[in-house]
Amino acid sequence: MSRTNKNPAYRRYMWRGAAVSAAYVASVFLATLVVPDGAKTAPLYLVVAMLPGIFIGLWVWVMARLLIELDDEYLRFVEVQKALIATGVTLAWTGAWGLAELFLPDLPKVPIFFVFPAWCLALCIGQIIVHLRSGDAGGAP
Amino acid sequence: MNNRLKILRAERDWSQQHLADALGVSRQSVNAIETGRFDPSLPLAFRIADIFELPIEAIFLRD
Repeated sequence: MSRTNKNPAYRRYMWRGAAVSAAYVASVFLATLVVPDGAKTAPLYLVVAMLPGIFIGLWVWVMARLLIELDDEYLRFVEVQKALIATGVTLAWTGAWGLAELFLPDLPKVPIFFVFPAWCLALCIGQIIVHLRSGDAGGAP
Repeated sequence: MNNRLKILRAERDWSQQHLADALGVSRQSVNAIETGRFDPSLPLAFRIADIFELPIEAIFLRD
């Protein structure tokens, strides 16, 4: 087993990520159960509806901890490259689509909560680009 | 920055994994340094120099 796979920072990242993902899904289900369709804004509904947002924030913390805890400077460099590519792709896509929505009213409106999943998807694009460029950095999750 | 890491490693008949384990880094790190895709930090360069028992300037060369 290579050091990439047994690096404790990656193990912690996987465990934390799995726990936060499970909590996020549970909070979405909770909001679906508690908040009725078309409900007017009330303090309880607002708290329950905002709950998944807390877990998105925790996901950002999980990714930040990975960068902080990775003691291998090259693997950290690779992760930072992936995050930069993901951020660039997401900003370009959301900016372009937002402007297109402004000028073309018939265009489907993309809900703003899609930005974070889009960033995660863009992270996969970053992984592919970094892997193709280096040919040897694909071991990182 | 150029380096003689691959030559020095071959002279000692060390694998990339062997050197990576000795340095406490991933094999990918050794590969990236050898192929010039990544310049190591000064502390890592000193660790590499210590392992090969050579001064840094005998391993890492100016472009």
